[in-house]
Amino acid sequence: MTVHTPIETRSSGLPRWAILLTLFVFLVGGVYLAANLVGENPPLAIPGESAEAPVDGSPDPAVGEALVGQATPQCSSCHGADLGGSDPFPSLHGVEEGAVSENLQDFAAEYPDNWAQLWIAGAPETEGIDRLGMPAFGDQFSPQQLDSIVAYLKTLP
Amino acid sequence: MTLNRNPKKSRPYDEPPKRRRRLIPDGADSTAIGFFVASAVWLAVATVIGALAIGIRLIPFELSFPLGLFDLSFEFGTRRVDAAFINATVYGWLTNAGFAAVAFMTPRLFGRPLAGIKLANLGVAFWNMSLAGGIAGLYVFDLGPNAALSAMLWLFEGGLATAALIVTGSFLATAGASIRSGYVSAWFAGVALLGLAGLLGLNATIGLADLFIELPALTVALASVFVERALMTIWLLGITYAILHYVVPRATGQPLASGGLAILTWLTWLALAPVSALATLQDTSVPFTFTTIGSVATILLLVPAALAFANLVQSMQGRWTLLFGTGTLAFAAISLAFLLATSLLEAIGSLRTVDQALGGTDWVRGVFLWAAYGAFSFAAFAIAEHAMPRVLRRAWGAGPLASGQLWLAFAGTTLAGLALMGGGLAEGSLRAAGTAPDAIDAALLLYRVPAFVGFGMVALAGLAMLVNLFLMYTSGEPVEYAIPGQAAPAAAGH
Repeated sequence: MTVHTPIETRSSGLPRWAILLTLFVFLVGGVYLAANLVGENPPLAIPGESAEAPVDGSPDPAVGEALVGQATPQCSSCHGADLGGSDPFPSLHGVEEGAVSENLQDFAAEYPDNWAQLWIAGAPETEGIDRLGMPAFGDQFSPQQLDSIVAYLKTLP
Repeated sequence: MTLNRNPKKSRPYDEPPKRRRRLIPDGADSTAIGFFVASAVWLAVATVIGALAIGIRLIPFELSFPLGLFDLSFEFGTRRVDAAFINATVYGWLTNAGFAAVAFMTPRLFGRPLAGIKLANLGVAFWNMSLAGGIAGLYVFDLGPNAALSAMLWLFEGGLATAALIVTGSFLATAGASIRSGYVSAWFAGVALLGLAGLLGLNATIGLADLFIELPALTVALASVFVERALMTIWLLGITYAILHYVVPRATGQPLASGGLAILTWLTWLALAPVSALATLQDTSVPFTFTTIGSVATILLLVPAALAFANLVQSMQGRWTLLFGTGTLAFAAISLAFLLATSLLEAIGSLRTVDQALGGTDWVRGVFLWAAYGAFSFAAFAIAEHAMPRVLRRAWGAGPLASGQLWLAFAGTTLAGLALMGGGLAEGSLRAAGTAPDAIDAALLLYRVPAFVGFGMVALAGLAMLVNLFLMYTSGEPVEYAIPGQAAPAAAGH
């Protein structure tokens, strides 16, 4: 005699609630899929690769683009997938022309060369300006990396 | 006439030679024993590294010193400790336990001994030697752009893939054509094993190809995050379903409530598990629709979890008292509860808005902890508790050690997971409110300290299991159980 101990089943049918539950959850999934078909993924944060500034220290827009994808929280979570703005957060396109939101006009005029870097970092110079929920990224990125991020933002039309 | 001897004067050759048991008995269940013992050792190792991984976030430090060989140096830092923890947990503890479950269940479900048992025993050694070498290498070699489960050197990944192929081959050869009419656990295990072997093969191939043609970092990174997620949803989730569908009817001594539900569980898991890994491919080079489909599949993985929960809870009807002990059913019930909870949490976390707010925070680590040390580990505990007395023919100690293992693991995993998820929520909201990073780190201490304590409790549970196993092996009471494929002295007890 060989030992063969199969497991029996009490019934082979499918309960009605199981069919309804499955259909309902698939329906919810289908609705979510239909509502999220269009958009753009953020750049992948490659494990272990913190995008470094070039050796010569010059800002690199490509490095800046990678860093924007690595920020926590990601810039796109507030400013939209293409950084084109998502109410109430402003568009980041047009930084090349100057400050993009009203609360920064005076500040940008005071620090015309590096207002964007100071603002993103949350530097002491920005104290007194309402950040409107904008996080400070000063501890996440070095000054060179901030330069690259701004260089990238300036490429956005 | 009697000969009175002074025992102090007896020499070694006056005594009959003592019979020594081999570490792994040469019998029908030797493969299962080998994998179970290895899994218990890896559990202790993984939990200690895990406590270190949380501790290094409380008191950050890095180490580096040269090995004096080929310009290699020993590097110790957060990323390497994290990678070692995840590899020791997934490949060490959970996969060894999964292989042990396959080696134990297959002969009993199909009524024949495990095919190619000597080769399978070689697989035990091959898997664990490759893994030990691979994890040691994580502290020496460049991890590249790989996610944790793909970060080992290709040579060790090749070793893992070979061992996985051996176990898969052994399973398929034992099951043969009977698998078509077999029990649902065999279907789960079959797909999970094929998925594991395929994913490990892919890992090793990418590592080897990168050595010769230097693949773009983005390609390697995308492949590795896909493999990492697929290993969780196909292999670990699949083998957990296989184990739970096996141990619950066995432990209750009752039939499975519904065969139809079990098949629907298997079909939905089979269709959704590979697709859900697409959600991790979040890069500008990947079409948005692809990743959304992956997110939707992750949400829908709630369906098989809910179906299995309902089916197995129904199968426990009339045996509720077994839930209040420290037996197989208590472990299985906790596994089921964690399985449903983590499926729900992963469904919520896969929503894009939630992912953007909480991605990269401790939330992700908390959910991983609940999945790995809650759902998957308790299923592994359940099969170990059920199988060990049957393969070693010795009674499992049901004293304070077994209680300690259950309650320390349950309380520790719950506490550590909740603390990390709470910390992730706090981190996300503080960042959104524009709080300075230093203030965020200070606030997170409140969450990371209890997480460290909780994981320390899980480490103690691992130690309790290892000690219980040792005591059972050395001094457990002999128990008669039937051996699969041989004449049965006692047909019951499977």
